[in-house]
Amino acid sequence: MSMANEESSVTARLARWALWCAVRHWPEENRAWGLALAAEVDETASAFETVRWSLGGIMLFTRSVISSAWAWMKLPAGSSLSGGANGPDSPSLLPKRSRVFTAVVLAAAAVLLILPEGREAIRTVRSSWRGYELSGSDERMLDELAARAEKEKDAGTLAFAALSTLDRTRGAAWTDRAVALDPQFIWVYGARNHGPKMDPPKKEWLVRLQAADPGNAVPDLLEADALAQPRFATFYDDGGKNEERRRLLASDPMWMALMERASRAPRYDSYFQRHYQLAQTVWNRERNLPPTIVLYGIWQHALPNLLNIRTYSEIEIAAARKAREAGDTKRAEGLLGDVDAFGMRMADANGPEIEKLIGLAIARNANKEMAKLFQVPGKTEDAGRVAKRLEQIEGRVQEARLALNLSRNARAKAFRTEAVFVQGFGTLSVLAGFAALSGVLLLELWPGRFRNATTIWRRAVCWAADYAPATLLLGCGIFLVSFLPFQSAFEEYRKSNFLLGDEQMLTDAMWSLFEIPSHVAGVDGAVEIWTFVTIALSVLLLLVLVRGFYRTRHAVVNPA
Amino acid sequence: MGVRIRLSKQTLQVLDALLTRPGQWLHGYSLSQSTGIPSGTLYPILMRLDKLHWLETRWEEAKTPGRPPRHLYRLSGTAREWARDEIRAAQERRFWKPAEHEA
Repeated sequence: MSMANEESSVTARLARWALWCAVRHWPEENRAWGLALAAEVDETASAFETVRWSLGGIMLFTRSVISSAWAWMKLPAGSSLSGGANGPDSPSLLPKRSRVFTAVVLAAAAVLLILPEGREAIRTVRSSWRGYELSGSDERMLDELAARAEKEKDAGTLAFAALSTLDRTRGAAWTDRAVALDPQFIWVYGARNHGPKMDPPKKEWLVRLQAADPGNAVPDLLEADALAQPRFATFYDDGGKNEERRRLLASDPMWMALMERASRAPRYDSYFQRHYQLAQTVWNRERNLPPTIVLYGIWQHALPNLLNIRTYSEIEIAAARKAREAGDTKRAEGLLGDVDAFGMRMADANGPEIEKLIGLAIARNANKEMAKLFQVPGKTEDAGRVAKRLEQIEGRVQEARLALNLSRNARAKAFRTEAVFVQGFGTLSVLAGFAALSGVLLLELWPGRFRNATTIWRRAVCWAADYAPATLLLGCGIFLVSFLPFQSAFEEYRKSNFLLGDEQMLTDAMWSLFEIPSHVAGVDGAVEIWTFVTIALSVLLLLVLVRGFYRTRHAVVNPA
Repeated sequence: MGVRIRLSKQTLQVLDALLTRPGQWLHGYSLSQSTGIPSGTLYPILMRLDKLHWLETRWEEAKTPGRPPRHLYRLSGTAREWARDEIRAAQERRFWKPAEHEA
């Protein structure tokens, strides 16, 4: 035999072997045809013919497998080509919908959820059930963001990551790196959140911030907080009495000196606006960032401790009162004037609403005390001036509250309604998805077991396989449509300039989503769930007892 | 007439080969040889004809020991008439010509 013949005979043997392998795996319903074709391979006249015949057989095998799979797909879940779950002619209970229908519906639902809008909705709703805490995957996303920013020398994104992460070590490293890359971001030293344990900002950061931003009250206020925090931590937690708090803080000369310097500083900027704008810029660039990451950073923004500020103003007002009582009106007026000016600086700054309201409250208290100062003959003009100022402050407070309440009432109501749909259909989709997968998998994996199952169980599984996929698709559709207002709130936030209204709208949106999980997971929810369980079990017990009683009576009346 | 179907040129060729000696049983390989149709095309045609009950099939024990039994085919009595009609109609339509006429 020549070399060429040897090679072709090896190829022929290989082809014959492959054909017989195919026959072994041939779909059962037409395996006889595979056997018929393979039996002829031994009759072929040459090695070339053998290979040609075998290749034809393998092609036919492929075709048979595909058509068999397609025929199988057209049958309902749990049934086989050779008959239902109970055999060929058995009237076994099977789902009405075919596997193709189920697969197409499940795939459509998966496509809806894989869309960017779907992923954003899932991430937001899922994080609402965690109280908007950053998850492990959120932290990993921040890691990747920071690594890329580091590579691209992008100080802004690094600063954003530093402001958003909960990891103190990484947050501190990213902050230092961002400032090193672009010193303009030195404000991050004063804005980096102090979570999760409310650690005060680093001393060296504050020193650098004070040097870089002279004339701003906030670095001094943050340093004063850092001083007060360790000493008064327990005190704050317990919500101690105002008088005691004032006494303790007033007895700390360093704290008092810092607060005095802050109250006389010409500016008040807690860097909230810069943080807000930075978050917007990064979110516009990184569209796939979950809203939770963006908002968590803003919500964790390190504002100076407002209770400390308020306490200092109370100490100053008390000192002014004492001075007035002692007849030193000049000093009293000076002290109150300082408090009023500081409060108004806070109110006029571009901070969050709560900061403005506290500023106005401080200014109002100072002016109320000032009014007492001028309730003496000969000070009518001053008294009139203070009364006018008080009126202006009160007007601003009412205006802010009204605007906040009006917008909150109308907008928050709408969001709350949408949130019910989002959470309701989200939950329905999860349940339907679970039911669909359970139903189909149970029928596919253990059809024999369901042959022996009681009718009610078989019916339940078939019902799940029939209706749960369509319910899932419908649930996902409504879930996404209900989420559209939230998405447009995110979009408006991305597009907006710095306006408190946008931030409030976003807060309303996120808060409304959080209300349902917080209720379910909260004490009220637990009480309701356990009440329901107790009542249901009691009813069940009662039914069992009544049934037992009637059966016993029946047995006595009609003995076997 | 029984089941009328649209027949491809290859199917007509197979029917023509089966009609050459109508009562005689033929093996798949010899059908392939006489029509020049490869196995991957021939067997789907045979399967289709069998499904339509145009074909009679039987298994034949192999003459050589150790070899698998072989499958044999011939047209059923009624199918022979239908096949002739189909071939005639195809020729009239100039859709298909028997191999010997083509040469």
